[in-house]
Amino acid sequence: MKNKILVTIFIIYICFFSILGILVPDKEFSSGERRKLSEFPKFKFEENWINKVDKYFLDHFVLRDKFRSLKAVYNYNVLNCLDNNGIYLKDGYIFKSNYPTNKSSINNFIEKISKLNSLLNKDNKVYMMIIPDKNYYLESDDFLQIDYNYIYNEVNKLNFNFIEIRDVLKLEDYYETDTHWRQEKLDKVIKQMSKVMNFNYNNISYEKNFFNSFYGVYYGESALNRKPETLVYLTGNIFKGTYVKYLENSNLNTIYNESKLTGMDAYDVFLDGASSFIEITNNQAITNKELVIFRDSFGSSLSPLLVNYYSKITLIDNRYITSDIFKQLITFTNQDVLFMYSTLLINESGSLKG
Amino acid sequence: MLFSSITFIYYFLPILLLMYFLVPKKYKNLVLLIFSLIFYFLGEQKYIIILILSCILNYFFGNRIYASKNKKIWLIIAIIYNVGQLLIFKYTDFFIENINKIFNSSINYLYLVMPIGISFFTFQALGYIIDIYNGKHKPASKLLDFMTYISLFPQLIAGPIVRYSDIEKELVERVHSVDKFSEGISRFVIGLAKKVLIANVLGDLASNLIEVDLLSSWLKPIVFTIQIYFDFSGYSDMAIGLGLMFGFRFLENFNYPLIASSITDFWRRWHMSLSSWFRDYVYIPLGGNRVSFIKHIRNIFIVWFLTGFWHGASWNFIIWGLYFAVILVIEKLFLKKYIDKTKIFKYFYTSFIVVISFLIFNSNSISEIFNSLGNMFMLNNIPISSKSTIYYLKNNFVLLIISIIGATPIMKNIISKFKNTKYKGIIDFFEVVGCITLLILATAFLIDESFNPFLYFRF
Repeated sequence: MKNKILVTIFIIYICFFSILGILVPDKEFSSGERRKLSEFPKFKFEENWINKVDKYFLDHFVLRDKFRSLKAVYNYNVLNCLDNNGIYLKDGYIFKSNYPTNKSSINNFIEKISKLNSLLNKDNKVYMMIIPDKNYYLESDDFLQIDYNYIYNEVNKLNFNFIEIRDVLKLEDYYETDTHWRQEKLDKVIKQMSKVMNFNYNNISYEKNFFNSFYGVYYGESALNRKPETLVYLTGNIFKGTYVKYLENSNLNTIYNESKLTGMDAYDVFLDGASSFIEITNNQAITNKELVIFRDSFGSSLSPLLVNYYSKITLIDNRYITSDIFKQLITFTNQDVLFMYSTLLINESGSLKG
Repeated sequence: MLFSSITFIYYFLPILLLMYFLVPKKYKNLVLLIFSLIFYFLGEQKYIIILILSCILNYFFGNRIYASKNKKIWLIIAIIYNVGQLLIFKYTDFFIENINKIFNSSINYLYLVMPIGISFFTFQALGYIIDIYNGKHKPASKLLDFMTYISLFPQLIAGPIVRYSDIEKELVERVHSVDKFSEGISRFVIGLAKKVLIANVLGDLASNLIEVDLLSSWLKPIVFTIQIYFDFSGYSDMAIGLGLMFGFRFLENFNYPLIASSITDFWRRWHMSLSSWFRDYVYIPLGGNRVSFIKHIRNIFIVWFLTGFWHGASWNFIIWGLYFAVILVIEKLFLKKYIDKTKIFKYFYTSFIVVISFLIFNSNSISEIFNSLGNMFMLNNIPISSKSTIYYLKNNFVLLIISIIGATPIMKNIISKFKNTKYKGIIDFFEVVGCITLLILATAFLIDESFNPFLYFRF
């Protein structure tokens, strides 16, 4: 009897998923993982053709996200694992391990920044600000952290004017399900920057705009069900005189691209997400100074808060643009130049272009 | 294609089962052969010709050895063909590398890619022709049956090394039943779970232990030993399970080797189809232990040199084999009778020797072996532990406990004990639920993780 039951359930189970796998139309994207799903590969006489087929079936398996959740729940609750695929859960926050400290990546970062520095004019004032990723604020001995002091010490050898913000920020200043910091919490960072960069900090009042269905990048990776967060972006009179020019998106000229709120990554609302070269001009700025920021994605939410202090801010994301190209778009004269990168990028700097 | 892949479990297997059970009895071997060749072709497109040629030629050799008056000549030709094929594809570059080193020459490497499973199907073919020569069985009556035997997909690429005599009757006439099929499902799913839920995860653990400290230098070879056991025995379980689904009963390949009480005992339990192959086709023909003491020792060293070398064209595998030869000789000479008298020590002794053996097995160079041993025995200046090692140990602690229990027959004994009691119904219920749960969990792990090939495909 047992054998009949097992055989019956096995056959029904296997057939259910294989037949549904064929019948259910393929999805193009996985919103949870924010990536394009693979297509069935055309047959080729190559050894890894079957691996591509397997990747296709893995990508389009029926109830794929539920299976991923099952694995996560099993790891956390049955095997009592501290992480699942490097994802930690603590106090409602989702963290992703970036351990170990990648010294060759840090050296690569320093090398790339040195090269950028060599393009600057002697009248440029150069600043460096390292943004700690939120793992820095993970107060637990259970989890593995990269050696933040090592990163800061190595980067400091560049001898730029250093803006230290580690003691200014707290875990609450980051999103629970995302890598990024919250724009509405960055006023204290601006204040800290003003001390080093010598601009007069003003206490500016902003209007808060809420998007209540924000799922950060770690939400999909964690494969666990949880409620969305509220993403806040700041608007106000301060932005009235601003005009934004995007290299890749000539249709947009505003700080925020609200159409991105319902896209793959709502955090792209800030300065249109991944953009290689952006110029923000503000005819109501309190100075005529100009600022050039070499940055990663953390800069998208912070930079708009600097428009009051600089008449022109140029943002260069050198993950997407080479110096050969941006040199044709900008002339270095006497601008303030800020290198602003997160420890996440410094520890994994392979994407930086020369 | 891997057994532990969505493509195999959810597409290849159901289509094959459907075709296999739909066709009349006389076409079942043909269906198995076609699907076995497709299975091989999907993983090894160019070299399928090697497999087909090996089938046809060995079928021919078998018939010639059986029918010809010059049996010995045909046997020698067959051995030269099979061993030559293995030497060319598996060992040429190793020989070139060492000749270049010794004679300071610069012979160009051939960079031949080794056909998947060549070590296994060549040994099956060799066993087949030697057994015919020794009169143990007749040659296969049909080429179709012989090709089905050699290329039978469950055991084609990573064993177990199935003897023709063990499935000779089943190739012609075999029984299919719900009971056998159900047993096959259980074995397949247990093997899948061993591979996906344990071996792959332990593999990640071993690769994460990057800090050099005393704890990690011990943990790494221990974890690798458990990993390779679950990986390889899991594959064998899947092969045996698939065999059962199609009516074949392959012999067991593992018998809880990690609870062995001596190294002699270990090799009676680990990769049994390989050790018995070397025993029957090398050790005994050389005279086994029925020769002078010196020749007996020589025989042991020849067999273990070959066993090591079979695992790969690299010096660490040869050292690994000879290491066992030394231990087995010492055990035969005096050690075994002493350790057999101990109750607990013998298990620690065996585990220690086995763990060190897999450290050698898993090393990329001789200097790495000595460096790892230096770390283990505090000859190098390293810390006792590190935060990273402790983290990974804690992160995988429950799994390690489960895998240690799983490497013993505790669960099997508990189930057997209650099987014939009034609790049989409960045990049956949990067997069904457990089997399907493991299948679902393994699927979840496969979906979540990236492609992960079997360790034993290298050999």
